[in-house]
Amino acid sequence: MHFLANPARFLKIARPLTPWLGWSGALLVAVGVGVGLFVAPPDYLQGESVRIIYIHVPAAWLGMAGWTGIALASLMQLVWRHPLAGVAARAIAVPGGVFAALCLATGSLWGRPTWGTYWEWDGRLTSMLILLFLYVAYGALANADRERGGEGRATAIFGLIGAINIPVIRYSVDWWRTLHQGKSIGVAGSSIDSAMLWPLLISALGFSLLFGAIVLMRMRADLARTKIEARLRRMAA
Amino acid sequence: MIFSPRPKAKHQRLVLLLVAIAAMVGAVLLAMSAMKDQASYFYAPGDVVRRGLPLDRAVRIGGMVREGSLERLRDGTTIRFVVGDETEATIPVTFTGIVPDLFREGSGMVAEGRFRPDGSFVASEILAKHDENYMPPKLGPQGDRHESGTLE
Amino acid sequence: MNHWLFIIAAYALVTIGVGSLTLLSYRAMRKAERDAQGFNQL
Repeated sequence: MHFLANPARFLKIARPLTPWLGWSGALLVAVGVGVGLFVAPPDYLQGESVRIIYIHVPAAWLGMAGWTGIALASLMQLVWRHPLAGVAARAIAVPGGVFAALCLATGSLWGRPTWGTYWEWDGRLTSMLILLFLYVAYGALANADRERGGEGRATAIFGLIGAINIPVIRYSVDWWRTLHQGKSIGVAGSSIDSAMLWPLLISALGFSLLFGAIVLMRMRADLARTKIEARLRRMAA
Repeated sequence: MIFSPRPKAKHQRLVLLLVAIAAMVGAVLLAMSAMKDQASYFYAPGDVVRRGLPLDRAVRIGGMVREGSLERLRDGTTIRFVVGDETEATIPVTFTGIVPDLFREGSGMVAEGRFRPDGSFVASEILAKHDENYMPPKLGPQGDRHESGTLE
Repeated sequence: MNHWLFIIAAYALVTIGVGSLTLLSYRAMRKAERDAQGFNQL
Protein backbone atom coordinates (compact mmCIF):
# COMPACT_ATOMS: atom_id res chain seq x y z
CA MET A 1 0.00 0.00 0.00
CA HIS A 2 2.93 2.31 0.61
CA PHE A 3 3.70 1.82 -3.02
CA LEU A 4 0.48 3.58 -3.98
CA ALA A 5 0.92 6.39 -1.48
CA ASN A 6 2.42 8.59 -4.12
CA PRO A 7 -0.40 10.08 -6.25
CA ALA A 8 1.83 10.16 -9.33
CA ARG A 9 2.51 6.45 -9.05
CA PHE A 10 -1.15 5.76 -8.34
CA LEU A 11 -2.17 7.68 -11.47
CA LYS A 12 0.27 5.75 -13.59
CA ILE A 13 -1.65 2.59 -12.72
CA ALA A 14 -5.13 4.12 -12.52
CA ARG A 15 -5.05 5.72 -15.97
CA PRO A 16 -4.81 2.51 -18.01
CA LEU A 17 -6.86 0.55 -15.46
CA THR A 18 -9.94 2.80 -15.69
CA PRO A 19 -11.09 2.00 -19.25
CA TRP A 20 -10.11 -1.63 -18.83
CA LEU A 21 -12.31 -2.03 -15.73
CA GLY A 22 -15.11 0.00 -17.26
CA TRP A 23 -15.38 -1.86 -20.53
CA SER A 24 -14.93 -5.37 -19.15
CA GLY A 25 -17.48 -4.52 -16.44
CA ALA A 26 -19.99 -3.29 -19.02
CA LEU A 27 -19.45 -6.41 -21.10
CA LEU A 28 -19.98 -8.77 -18.15
CA VAL A 29 -23.09 -6.85 -17.07
CA ALA A 30 -24.48 -7.17 -20.60
CA VAL A 31 -23.84 -10.93 -20.60
CA GLY A 32 -25.18 -11.54 -17.08
CA VAL A 33 -28.25 -9.38 -17.50
CA GLY A 34 -28.92 -10.61 -21.05
CA VAL A 35 -28.86 -14.24 -19.94
CA GLY A 36 -30.85 -13.36 -16.83
CA LEU A 37 -33.57 -11.62 -18.81
CA PHE A 38 -33.91 -13.87 -21.83
CA VAL A 39 -32.29 -17.27 -21.20
CA ALA A 40 -32.51 -18.11 -17.50
CA PRO A 41 -35.67 -19.90 -16.36
CA PRO A 42 -38.45 -18.22 -14.37
CA ASP A 43 -38.83 -19.23 -10.72
CA TYR A 44 -41.19 -22.05 -9.75
CA LEU A 45 -42.96 -19.80 -7.27
CA GLN A 46 -42.23 -16.21 -8.27
CA GLY A 47 -42.49 -16.62 -12.03
CA GLU A 48 -40.87 -14.03 -14.26
CA SER A 49 -40.43 -11.43 -11.50
CA VAL A 50 -37.37 -13.36 -10.26
CA ARG A 51 -35.42 -11.73 -13.13
CA ILE A 52 -35.08 -8.61 -11.00
CA ILE A 53 -32.55 -10.58 -8.93
CA TYR A 54 -29.84 -9.99 -11.59
CA ILE A 55 -29.75 -6.28 -10.74
CA HIS A 56 -31.11 -6.25 -7.20
CA VAL A 57 -28.48 -8.51 -5.64
CA PRO A 58 -25.48 -6.79 -7.34
CA ALA A 59 -26.86 -3.40 -6.23
CA ALA A 60 -27.24 -4.65 -2.65
CA TRP A 61 -23.75 -6.19 -2.68
CA LEU A 62 -22.14 -3.00 -3.98
CA GLY A 63 -24.09 -0.76 -1.62
CA MET A 64 -22.68 -2.79 1.28
CA ALA A 65 -19.23 -3.37 -0.22
CA GLY A 66 -19.00 0.38 -0.88
CA TRP A 67 -19.37 1.25 2.77
CA THR A 68 -16.95 -1.51 3.74
CA GLY A 69 -14.47 0.19 1.39
CA ILE A 70 -15.17 3.58 2.97
CA ALA A 71 -14.56 2.09 6.42
CA LEU A 72 -11.27 0.45 5.39
CA ALA A 73 -10.05 3.62 3.69
CA SER A 74 -11.07 5.66 6.75
CA LEU A 75 -9.06 3.32 8.97
CA MET A 76 -6.01 3.74 6.72
CA GLN A 77 -6.49 7.48 6.75
CA LEU A 78 -6.77 7.73 10.54
CA VAL A 79 -4.01 5.31 11.46
CA TRP A 80 -1.43 5.44 8.70
CA ARG A 81 -2.34 8.89 7.35
CA HIS A 82 -2.30 7.36 3.90
CA PRO A 83 -2.65 10.37 1.57
CA LEU A 84 -4.86 8.61 -0.95
CA ALA A 85 -7.16 6.94 1.57
CA GLY A 86 -9.34 10.01 2.06
CA VAL A 87 -9.55 10.51 -1.70
CA ALA A 88 -10.65 6.89 -2.15
CA ALA A 89 -13.27 7.06 0.61
CA ARG A 90 -14.74 10.26 -0.83
CA ALA A 91 -14.83 8.73 -4.30
CA ILE A 92 -16.88 5.75 -3.10
CA ALA A 93 -19.61 7.81 -1.42
CA VAL A 94 -21.68 8.73 -4.49
CA PRO A 95 -21.55 5.39 -6.36
CA GLY A 96 -22.17 3.53 -3.08
CA GLY A 97 -25.21 5.66 -2.39
CA VAL A 98 -26.52 5.25 -5.93
CA PHE A 99 -26.27 1.46 -5.70
CA ALA A 100 -27.92 1.40 -2.27
CA ALA A 101 -30.78 3.47 -3.69
CA LEU A 102 -31.06 1.16 -6.71
CA CYS A 103 -31.15 -1.84 -4.38
CA LEU A 104 -34.09 -0.32 -2.51
CA ALA A 105 -35.90 0.72 -5.71
CA THR A 106 -35.49 -2.61 -7.51
CA GLY A 107 -36.40 -4.47 -4.32
CA SER A 108 -39.55 -2.42 -4.03
CA LEU A 109 -40.49 -3.22 -7.63
CA TRP A 110 -39.82 -6.88 -6.89
CA GLY A 111 -41.81 -6.87 -3.66
CA ARG A 112 -45.06 -5.68 -5.21
CA PRO A 113 -45.66 -8.65 -7.56
CA THR A 114 -44.30 -11.23 -5.09
CA TRP A 115 -45.00 -10.18 -1.49
CA GLY A 116 -47.89 -7.91 -2.40
CA THR A 117 -46.36 -4.67 -1.12
CA TYR A 118 -43.82 -2.08 -2.22
CA TRP A 119 -42.53 -1.50 1.28
CA GLU A 120 -42.62 -2.99 4.75
CA TRP A 121 -40.71 -1.83 7.81
CA ASP A 122 -38.98 -5.13 8.46
CA GLY A 123 -35.40 -5.52 9.68
CA ARG A 124 -33.76 -5.98 6.29
CA LEU A 125 -35.56 -3.19 4.45
CA THR A 126 -35.16 -0.73 7.30
CA SER A 127 -31.44 -1.38 7.81
CA MET A 128 -30.85 -0.98 4.06
CA LEU A 129 -32.71 2.34 4.10
CA ILE A 130 -30.49 3.44 6.99
CA LEU A 131 -27.45 2.62 4.82
CA LEU A 132 -28.77 4.99 2.14
CA PHE A 133 -29.22 7.76 4.72
CA LEU A 134 -25.69 7.11 5.99
CA TYR A 135 -24.35 7.56 2.45
CA VAL A 136 -26.21 10.86 2.08
CA ALA A 137 -24.88 12.12 5.42
CA TYR A 138 -21.37 10.92 4.63
CA GLY A 139 -21.40 12.62 1.24
CA ALA A 140 -22.52 15.91 2.76
CA LEU A 141 -19.89 15.68 5.48
CA ALA A 142 -17.10 14.79 3.04
CA ASN A 143 -18.08 17.64 0.70
CA ALA A 144 -18.19 20.21 3.47
CA ASP A 145 -14.85 18.99 4.71
CA ARG A 146 -13.21 19.20 1.32
CA GLU A 147 -14.54 22.74 0.76
CA ARG A 148 -12.93 23.84 4.02
CA GLY A 149 -9.75 22.05 3.06
CA GLY A 150 -9.81 20.09 6.31
CA GLU A 151 -8.06 16.86 7.14
CA GLY A 152 -11.30 14.91 6.98
CA ARG A 153 -10.89 13.31 10.36
CA ALA A 154 -14.53 13.69 11.38
CA THR A 155 -15.58 12.27 8.01
CA ALA A 156 -13.29 9.26 8.48
CA ILE A 157 -14.59 8.61 11.99
CA PHE A 158 -18.15 8.76 10.65
CA GLY A 159 -17.16 6.30 7.93
CA LEU A 160 -15.84 3.87 10.54
CA ILE A 161 -18.79 4.12 12.91
CA GLY A 162 -21.30 3.73 10.08
CA ALA A 163 -19.77 0.34 9.23
CA ILE A 164 -21.65 -1.16 12.19
CA ASN A 165 -24.72 -1.11 9.97
CA ILE A 166 -23.15 -3.54 7.50
CA PRO A 167 -23.31 -6.70 9.68
CA VAL A 168 -26.73 -5.54 10.86
CA ILE A 169 -27.98 -5.62 7.25
CA ARG A 170 -26.34 -8.96 6.58
CA TYR A 171 -27.71 -10.69 9.69
CA SER A 172 -31.04 -8.83 9.94
CA VAL A 173 -32.81 -11.80 8.34
CA ASP A 174 -31.30 -14.16 10.95
CA TRP A 175 -31.72 -12.01 14.06
CA TRP A 176 -35.23 -10.84 13.43
CA ARG A 177 -38.26 -12.21 11.74
CA THR A 178 -38.57 -10.37 8.48
CA LEU A 179 -40.77 -10.34 5.41
CA HIS A 180 -37.55 -10.53 3.40
CA GLN A 181 -36.40 -14.11 2.93
CA GLY A 182 -33.19 -15.46 4.45
CA LYS A 183 -29.85 -15.44 2.71
CA SER A 184 -29.48 -17.50 -0.46
CA ILE A 185 -25.71 -17.27 -0.86
CA GLY A 186 -23.41 -18.10 2.03
CA VAL A 187 -20.10 -19.78 2.74
CA ALA A 188 -21.83 -23.17 2.67
CA GLY A 189 -23.19 -22.71 -0.83
CA SER A 190 -26.29 -21.37 -2.45
CA SER A 191 -29.96 -22.20 -2.58
CA ILE A 192 -30.29 -20.66 -6.03
CA ASP A 193 -30.53 -23.06 -8.96
CA SER A 194 -27.34 -23.03 -11.03
CA ALA A 195 -29.23 -21.88 -14.16
CA MET A 196 -30.00 -18.64 -12.26
CA LEU A 197 -26.86 -18.49 -10.16
CA TRP A 198 -24.25 -18.19 -12.89
CA PRO A 199 -25.78 -15.21 -14.70
CA LEU A 200 -26.25 -13.61 -11.27
CA LEU A 201 -22.58 -14.04 -10.40
CA ILE A 202 -21.47 -12.72 -13.81
CA SER A 203 -23.73 -9.70 -13.44
CA ALA A 204 -22.44 -9.07 -9.90
CA LEU A 205 -18.81 -9.29 -11.09
CA GLY A 206 -19.58 -6.96 -14.00
CA PHE A 207 -21.23 -4.33 -11.80
CA SER A 208 -18.30 -4.62 -9.38
CA LEU A 209 -15.75 -3.88 -12.12
CA LEU A 210 -17.90 -0.98 -13.32
CA PHE A 211 -18.06 0.28 -9.75
CA GLY A 212 -14.26 0.11 -9.59
CA ALA A 213 -13.97 2.13 -12.80
CA ILE A 214 -16.35 4.79 -11.45
CA VAL A 215 -14.39 5.05 -8.20
CA LEU A 216 -11.12 5.40 -10.13
CA MET A 217 -12.63 8.13 -12.34
CA ARG A 218 -13.82 10.05 -9.29
CA MET A 219 -10.43 9.67 -7.58
CA ARG A 220 -8.67 10.97 -10.69
CA ALA A 221 -11.02 13.96 -10.87
CA ASP A 222 -10.42 14.65 -7.19
CA LEU A 223 -6.63 14.49 -7.56
CA ALA A 224 -6.69 16.74 -10.65
CA ARG A 225 -8.79 19.28 -8.78
CA THR A 226 -6.40 19.24 -5.85
CA LYS A 227 -3.57 19.92 -8.26
CA ILE A 228 -5.43 22.88 -9.77
CA GLU A 229 -6.22 24.30 -6.36
CA ALA A 230 -2.59 24.05 -5.32
CA ARG A 231 -1.51 25.87 -8.50
CA LEU A 232 -4.07 28.59 -7.96
CA ARG A 233 -2.87 29.12 -4.41
CA ARG A 234 0.72 29.36 -5.56
CA MET A 235 -0.18 31.85 -8.29
CA ALA A 236 -2.14 33.97 -5.85
CA ALA A 237 0.73 34.02 -3.37
CA MET B 1 2.55 15.23 2.78
CA ILE B 2 3.69 13.53 5.95
CA PHE B 3 3.24 9.84 5.60
CA SER B 4 4.14 8.42 8.99
CA PRO B 5 5.33 10.90 11.57
CA ARG B 6 6.56 8.43 14.16
CA PRO B 7 6.05 4.69 14.17
CA LYS B 8 5.11 4.79 17.85
CA ALA B 9 2.38 7.38 17.41
CA LYS B 10 1.00 5.37 14.52
CA HIS B 11 0.95 2.26 16.66
CA GLN B 12 -0.86 4.08 19.45
CA ARG B 13 -3.48 5.46 17.09
CA LEU B 14 -4.12 2.01 15.67
CA VAL B 15 -4.54 0.36 19.06
CA LEU B 16 -6.77 3.14 20.36
CA LEU B 17 -8.93 3.08 17.29
CA LEU B 18 -9.26 -0.70 17.27
CA VAL B 19 -10.25 -0.73 20.94
CA ALA B 20 -12.83 1.99 20.30
CA ILE B 21 -14.23 0.15 17.30
CA ALA B 22 -14.38 -3.17 19.15
CA ALA B 23 -16.24 -1.51 22.04
CA MET B 24 -18.72 0.18 19.70
CA VAL B 25 -19.39 -2.95 17.68
CA GLY B 26 -19.77 -5.01 20.85
CA ALA B 27 -22.24 -2.54 22.32
CA VAL B 28 -24.35 -2.39 19.18
CA LEU B 29 -24.41 -6.15 18.66
CA LEU B 30 -25.41 -6.64 22.30
CA ALA B 31 -28.22 -4.14 21.93
CA MET B 32 -29.33 -5.84 18.72
CA SER B 33 -29.53 -9.29 20.24
CA ALA B 34 -31.31 -7.86 23.30
CA MET B 35 -33.86 -6.28 20.97
CA LYS B 36 -34.41 -9.58 19.26
CA ASP B 37 -37.85 -10.21 20.71
CA GLN B 38 -39.13 -6.64 20.81
CA ALA B 39 -38.06 -5.94 17.25
CA SER B 40 -39.93 -8.96 15.93
CA TYR B 41 -41.77 -8.01 12.82
CA PHE B 42 -44.53 -10.53 13.41
CA TYR B 43 -45.98 -12.98 15.93
CA ALA B 44 -45.56 -16.67 15.14
CA PRO B 45 -48.24 -19.11 16.34
CA GLY B 46 -45.80 -20.44 18.95
CA ASP B 47 -45.36 -16.93 20.44
CA VAL B 48 -49.06 -16.58 21.04
CA VAL B 49 -49.03 -19.72 23.16
CA ARG B 50 -45.98 -18.56 25.10
CA ARG B 51 -46.80 -14.88 25.51
CA GLY B 52 -50.59 -14.76 25.37
CA LEU B 53 -52.92 -13.01 22.97
CA PRO B 54 -52.11 -9.37 22.18
CA LEU B 55 -55.73 -8.24 22.13
CA ASP B 56 -55.16 -4.54 22.78
CA ARG B 57 -53.66 -3.58 19.44
CA ALA B 58 -53.27 -4.42 15.78
CA VAL B 59 -50.42 -6.87 15.21
CA ARG B 60 -48.81 -8.92 12.47
CA ILE B 61 -48.72 -12.68 12.46
CA GLY B 62 -46.57 -14.86 10.25
CA GLY B 63 -46.20 -18.53 9.45
CA MET B 64 -46.95 -21.20 6.93
CA VAL B 65 -50.41 -21.71 5.46
CA ARG B 66 -51.36 -25.27 6.44
CA GLU B 67 -51.95 -27.63 3.50
CA GLY B 68 -55.62 -28.31 2.95
CA SER B 69 -56.81 -25.57 5.29
CA LEU B 70 -57.62 -22.86 2.74
CA GLU B 71 -61.32 -22.43 2.02
CA ARG B 72 -63.34 -19.72 0.32
CA LEU B 73 -66.58 -18.69 2.02
CA ARG B 74 -69.82 -18.38 0.15
CA ASP B 75 -69.56 -14.60 -0.38
CA GLY B 76 -66.65 -15.29 -2.75
CA THR B 77 -64.19 -12.75 -1.32
CA THR B 78 -63.68 -14.03 2.22
CA ILE B 79 -61.11 -16.77 2.81
CA ARG B 80 -60.35 -18.84 5.86
CA PHE B 81 -57.14 -20.72 6.53
CA VAL B 82 -54.89 -21.97 9.32
CA VAL B 83 -51.38 -20.70 9.98
CA GLY B 84 -48.81 -22.90 11.65
CA ASP B 85 -45.11 -22.84 12.48
CA GLU B 86 -42.54 -25.35 13.67
CA THR B 87 -44.48 -25.73 16.95
CA GLU B 88 -47.81 -27.46 17.47
CA ALA B 89 -49.62 -24.13 17.71
CA THR B 90 -51.86 -22.83 14.95
CA ILE B 91 -53.91 -19.69 14.32
CA PRO B 92 -57.17 -19.72 12.35
CA VAL B 93 -57.34 -16.65 10.10
CA THR B 94 -60.16 -14.99 8.17
CA PHE B 95 -59.56 -12.35 5.51
CA THR B 96 -61.75 -10.48 3.07
CA GLY B 97 -60.01 -9.08 0.03
CA ILE B 98 -57.40 -9.85 -2.59
CA VAL B 99 -54.35 -11.93 -1.70
CA PRO B 100 -50.97 -11.75 -3.51
CA ASP B 101 -50.27 -14.22 -6.32
CA LEU B 102 -47.74 -16.04 -4.20
CA PHE B 103 -50.20 -16.68 -1.37
CA ARG B 104 -50.91 -20.41 -1.38
CA GLU B 105 -51.12 -23.47 0.83
CA GLY B 106 -47.81 -24.71 2.15
CA SER B 107 -46.20 -21.33 1.60
CA GLY B 108 -45.28 -18.51 3.97
CA MET B 109 -47.41 -15.48 4.70
CA VAL B 110 -47.55 -12.40 6.93
CA ALA B 111 -50.90 -10.89 7.92
CA GLU B 112 -51.81 -7.63 9.60
CA GLY B 113 -54.90 -7.44 11.76
CA ARG B 114 -56.32 -8.19 15.21
CA PHE B 115 -56.79 -11.23 17.37
CA ARG B 116 -60.21 -12.08 18.71
CA PRO B 117 -60.55 -13.32 22.30
CA ASP B 118 -61.17 -16.87 21.03
CA GLY B 119 -57.66 -16.92 19.52
CA SER B 120 -58.68 -16.50 15.90
CA PHE B 121 -57.25 -13.71 13.79
CA VAL B 122 -59.05 -11.26 11.53
CA ALA B 123 -56.62 -10.00 8.89
CA SER B 124 -56.89 -6.62 7.22
CA GLU B 125 -53.94 -7.19 4.89
CA ILE B 126 -52.10 -10.29 3.71
CA LEU B 127 -48.59 -10.46 2.29
CA ALA B 128 -46.85 -13.49 0.83
CA LYS B 129 -43.47 -14.51 2.24
CA HIS B 130 -41.29 -16.77 0.16
CA ASP B 131 -38.15 -18.62 1.17
CA GLU B 132 -34.57 -18.34 -0.04
CA ASN B 133 -34.84 -21.07 -2.67
CA TYR B 134 -34.87 -20.12 -6.33
CA MET B 135 -35.39 -22.77 -8.98
CA PRO B 136 -37.03 -23.43 -12.35
CA PRO B 137 -40.71 -24.49 -12.41
CA LYS B 138 -39.88 -28.15 -12.96
CA LEU B 139 -36.57 -29.50 -11.85
CA GLY B 140 -35.14 -31.66 -14.54
CA PRO B 141 -33.59 -31.28 -17.98
CA GLN B 142 -34.24 -27.65 -18.84
CA GLY B 143 -37.19 -28.53 -21.08
CA ASP B 144 -39.74 -26.38 -19.30
CA ARG B 145 -37.92 -23.13 -19.78
CA HIS B 146 -40.77 -21.51 -21.71
CA GLU B 147 -43.46 -22.41 -19.27
CA SER B 148 -43.81 -19.51 -16.88
CA GLY B 149 -45.63 -21.49 -14.24
CA THR B 150 -49.08 -20.80 -12.94
CA LEU B 151 -48.57 -17.25 -11.79
CA GLU B 152 -49.96 -15.11 -14.52
CA MET C 1 -50.34 -9.02 -12.39
CA ASN C 2 -47.96 -8.59 -15.30
CA HIS C 3 -44.47 -9.15 -13.94
CA TRP C 4 -42.76 -7.73 -17.01
CA LEU C 5 -43.95 -4.21 -16.20
CA PHE C 6 -42.09 -4.40 -12.89
CA ILE C 7 -39.04 -6.01 -14.48
CA ILE C 8 -38.84 -3.33 -17.19
CA ALA C 9 -39.26 -0.55 -14.64
CA ALA C 10 -36.50 -1.99 -12.43
CA TYR C 11 -34.06 -2.41 -15.33
CA ALA C 12 -34.87 1.07 -16.63
CA LEU C 13 -34.06 2.58 -13.24
CA VAL C 14 -30.74 0.74 -13.04
CA THR C 15 -29.82 1.69 -16.62
CA ILE C 16 -30.57 5.36 -16.01
CA GLY C 17 -28.91 5.37 -12.59
CA VAL C 18 -25.69 3.55 -13.46
CA GLY C 19 -25.51 5.12 -16.92
CA SER C 20 -25.75 8.69 -15.74
CA LEU C 21 -23.43 8.01 -12.80
CA THR C 22 -20.78 6.65 -15.16
CA LEU C 23 -21.22 9.45 -17.69
CA LEU C 24 -21.12 12.23 -15.08
CA SER C 25 -18.07 10.73 -13.36
CA TYR C 26 -16.31 10.40 -16.72
CA ARG C 27 -17.09 13.95 -17.82
CA ALA C 28 -16.02 15.40 -14.45
CA MET C 29 -12.75 13.46 -14.67
CA ARG C 30 -12.04 14.57 -18.24
CA LYS C 31 -12.72 18.20 -17.40
CA ALA C 32 -10.61 18.19 -14.22
CA GLU C 33 -7.69 16.41 -15.90
CA ARG C 34 -7.80 18.74 -18.91
CA ASP C 35 -7.84 21.79 -16.66
CA ALA C 36 -4.91 20.44 -14.67
CA GLN C 37 -3.04 19.75 -17.91
CA GLY C 38 -3.77 23.30 -19.09
CA PHE C 39 -2.14 24.68 -15.98
CA ASN C 40 0.97 22.66 -16.69
CA GLN C 41 1.35 24.27 -20.08
CA LEU C 42 1.02 27.84 -18.79
